[in-house]
Amino acid sequence: MLTWSTHLLTEYFTAVNAADDERTAIASAVERATEMVEAEVGAVVREGRVAEAYGFGGMIPEAGLLAVAAGESLLEVADLGELYAVASPLGGENADALIVCRADESFGPEERQMLQGMAQVLGLALRSIRVLAAERHLRAEKERQATTAQTRQRLVESLLTIQRAISGRRPLPEILDAVTSGAAELLDGATVALLLAEGGPDRRLSVASTCGGTDGGPLHESAARAAMSGGAVLIRPDGTGTMIAAPVRVTGEMAGSLVAHLPGGAEQYTEQRDQLAAFAQQVSLALTDARTVEAVREAHHDPITGLPNRALFLKILNRVLASRGTATDPTSVLFIDLDRFKAVNDSLGHEAGDQLLALVARRLRSCVRASDTTARLGGDEFAALLHDSPIGAATIVGERIVASIKEPFRVAGREIFIGASVGVATSREVVERSETLLHNADVAMYRAKKEGPGRVLVYETYMHTEALDHLNLRGDLQRALREGEFRLQYQPLIRLADGVATGVEALIRWHSPTRGFVSPVDFIPIAEEFGLIVDIGQWALETSAVQVARWRRDFPDLGLNVNVSGHQLVHPRFADNVMRALAIAGLPSSAVTLELTESVLMSEPDLGKAALHVLRGLGVQLSIDDFGTGYSSLAYLRELPVDELKIDRAFIARAELTGEDLALVRTIVELAQILGLRTVAEGIENAAQLSALRRLGCGYGQGYHLCRPTDPDELPSRLARALVEDPVG
Amino acid sequence: MQINPHRWFGAGQSSAADAAKAGAEAAAEAIGGRDPKAVFVFCSVAYDLPALVAAVRDEAGPDAAIVGSTTMGELGNAGMTVGGVAVAALGGDGFTVHTRVAPIDQHDPRAAGADAAEALRGLHDPNRVLILFCDGMAGRPHEIVRGAYSTAGAAWPLVGGFGADDRHFEKTYQIHGDAVVSESVVALALGSDGPIGIGMAHGWRRTEPPMIVTKSHGAHIYRLDDQPALDVLLRRNNFDGTADEFFDRGRALQPLGLSRRNGEDIRVIHAGDDEERSVWGTADVPQGALVWLMEADRQALIDGATWSCTEAIARLDGLAPLGVLAFDCGGRRAGLVEGGMEEEIDAMRTALGDAPFVGFYTTGEIARVRGASGLHHLTLVTLALA
Repeated sequence: MLTWSTHLLTEYFTAVNAADDERTAIASAVERATEMVEAEVGAVVREGRVAEAYGFGGMIPEAGLLAVAAGESLLEVADLGELYAVASPLGGENADALIVCRADESFGPEERQMLQGMAQVLGLALRSIRVLAAERHLRAEKERQATTAQTRQRLVESLLTIQRAISGRRPLPEILDAVTSGAAELLDGATVALLLAEGGPDRRLSVASTCGGTDGGPLHESAARAAMSGGAVLIRPDGTGTMIAAPVRVTGEMAGSLVAHLPGGAEQYTEQRDQLAAFAQQVSLALTDARTVEAVREAHHDPITGLPNRALFLKILNRVLASRGTATDPTSVLFIDLDRFKAVNDSLGHEAGDQLLALVARRLRSCVRASDTTARLGGDEFAALLHDSPIGAATIVGERIVASIKEPFRVAGREIFIGASVGVATSREVVERSETLLHNADVAMYRAKKEGPGRVLVYETYMHTEALDHLNLRGDLQRALREGEFRLQYQPLIRLADGVATGVEALIRWHSPTRGFVSPVDFIPIAEEFGLIVDIGQWALETSAVQVARWRRDFPDLGLNVNVSGHQLVHPRFADNVMRALAIAGLPSSAVTLELTESVLMSEPDLGKAALHVLRGLGVQLSIDDFGTGYSSLAYLRELPVDELKIDRAFIARAELTGEDLALVRTIVELAQILGLRTVAEGIENAAQLSALRRLGCGYGQGYHLCRPTDPDELPSRLARALVEDPVG
Repeated sequence: MQINPHRWFGAGQSSAADAAKAGAEAAAEAIGGRDPKAVFVFCSVAYDLPALVAAVRDEAGPDAAIVGSTTMGELGNAGMTVGGVAVAALGGDGFTVHTRVAPIDQHDPRAAGADAAEALRGLHDPNRVLILFCDGMAGRPHEIVRGAYSTAGAAWPLVGGFGADDRHFEKTYQIHGDAVVSESVVALALGSDGPIGIGMAHGWRRTEPPMIVTKSHGAHIYRLDDQPALDVLLRRNNFDGTADEFFDRGRALQPLGLSRRNGEDIRVIHAGDDEERSVWGTADVPQGALVWLMEADRQALIDGATWSCTEAIARLDGLAPLGVLAFDCGGRRAGLVEGGMEEEIDAMRTALGDAPFVGFYTTGEIARVRGASGLHHLTLVTLALA
């Protein structure tokens, strides 16, 4: 697919170049750039001051914008808070920049590249307006103005031709010919050659297209090389006239050069030099897109698995749906999503991840008939198209796939265990859109995944309603926070050696007046999705800190464990928020342990590392929750200031622990001892598990057998008891 | 009915033929004997507008701000009317209202938007929104909305609509206080100590392949893919005939989608010229833009209405909506012929629970909550107050 960003460039270019004066050019550039990346505010900083600002409503944070131009990546705006900011240089000598700032999302690489292009277009337009203004006082003012305006109009027209060739999916040579003929026309009678670097170590230049009867000889090549190594447009005389060469970049990399040859001396071609530079800039952006189009067109198949990709799958599905005789001729689509694939990819590397995908593809193919189609939709998502398959038959295939993926894979010399969740959708109507069918299967898969890994679910219309309900849940969560519907329960952490409660873990509970009891498993992901988790997490921290500080009057050594979401961790003020909550409660930082799940740390290894080090420096401890469930390298144990490992309940879930379970737990305990970490076993449910863990040397435990999560008013009496000797629950 | 609660909202409609009677009926139903701070009037251009506004004033009392627009149809809890009037009223200590009107200078439409948005000045309530009613025939609507945004800034949302004159496309009117004006922007800045939610959705999708706008000026498109624009549209629709026949025969609606970061920005093309082979709508289509023809089925459009309402309510921090103002595109009616409008209003009733709602069919909808663009087409924009 063409991407939205390059579509906008010609629009932007046309608008900025239509301006006759600097102010209009700047204002129109700021507005267009802000709108195109859906940013809230934008500005241009020029010669050390804010030349234009949009979207601030009268209160322009001048100092903040100058700081952004100097490299700051956040901008504080009145009534809006902190926005993600990006500054793109306008080129030229000064640190002039085009700035845009957005509230909801930072700017991705593609957007940054586009903004760079936009800033350079503005820079060129401003320089050409300035040159024009200077020349106005010279002779032939009016005539010159007219030709400049005409030239700019021609520039826009030939860019449109190129853009059209690209969007019309014309062959690449045709696009390149449009580039050289466009440049030749622009420079009025020049001969033009486009030289592109080939792959390979020596990066030979070859002539990709010419116009005006040149063959792109050695002089062209030497000018092209000079422009490429200097990274800027170059003008120099040669034996027969003047040579201008402007570098062309593709996806940011130097890819070649556009070289023009004009008769006569170099001094008369200043304007032509700027025009060729601007043109090459636009050609760079257009070619970046052309390459993408080529890549997509040639790649109907996913190179890793050899399966059809999403586009081809939809095409095939369309064809099948169109050719069905009747509605009683059902076609089913399975949407297959791998469980735990990301963990493998992150811990064993992309190469191993790719190998695994190829093996998964092979197994998928073995689960369906030869006439059926399997495809890789992207990431760890696959699909299968089953002809003449009613729901029952399709579900059986889905279950076969789940069972097949559950079997271990051998990758990079080790056994890998992953799983799959499957959504099924079957065409019910004669007219059915392929996208709808695939989307329904996706909705069913999402629902299957929510119910736990390894499930197969058939799409039902209520699932669509659920998606709506999802939105309502956000409103309910906001109200819950405001109306104080959340409660905390506390579960003691018991020192196994003597049964003393050394700390409590705060656990959030929500009893909604309309929904009844809602499990954290259900609402925490929603709260994370809508960004409410930061407020909810902060509330839990503040409330539990006050509570534990109160209990410490009677139990002075009592510690507090609080769960922290990845979303809280990346919040810029996370460390400040934690310290503020502790200060208000009067709880020493050494009494607090923050629990992070292994998956959070692994999915984003650099996530919040700085904040964690700050907090650790201030005495807060760090615990890894559900330890042992991910395929993690142990790297983060070395890199992060961890104090405690919580052994996941999965390892001690069996009523009677097997030799294998015990060996696993022993390994974790020994590892922790070597690293000097505390170990806490979660989910201890009977006396046999308790004594086994004690024997293994596990230091601490939690579980129903020791003490259930308890309301705060009942907890002190529990803490007072020797819990292990008198187990409750 | 509770007299003078902290915040209240009421809705009323009338199809009476006599302007004064229609205005009085709808206003009395909306106001219900309370003291309104603001009254919104959406009505057909066919009425004697000064008489209608005077009747509304009699019901509203001397202190209420009255604002409004002529329409392409009105909607509310009672259903859709064409040639009728719909009135919303709100009041109570929890609301603050400022209004402002600015005439549109053809050469600088943006100044009118910027001036009208000054209505926000001096509001200090924790939640604010700027509601705009703009002339639908003045041209360059994007510039008006950009002007309003340049004054309002990103901190406060914008909503509103561009007016219509049934389906004449000649002259639309705005209401400000007791005055009926034209070629103006009327702004009502609303402050509230309760949350304000805005929703929008359309329900259209692209049909491939895309085209490049190779020549355009303002809302006029001359060439698509370097061919005469009218020819391209006729060919893509397998239609043989003149522009008038094409745009009159149920295909009145040719939505074009411009590629944007989060989907499409839609423009409605509603007329063409056989000589020039050009086509045009009400808003700018920039030269160089990549555009798709858009299509929709009835269910997708009705789902869009549900989404718009649900989204607005979801932003009310869990509170029930007091009432809702709706700005629905006149063009959606073309996609929803034969009872579809009733279905859409049913979907809104269901999504909004029992909350009163009032709105009108526009020639352009305004909604800006995030990002900087605020003008939409073929969209249902809802403003929910709690």
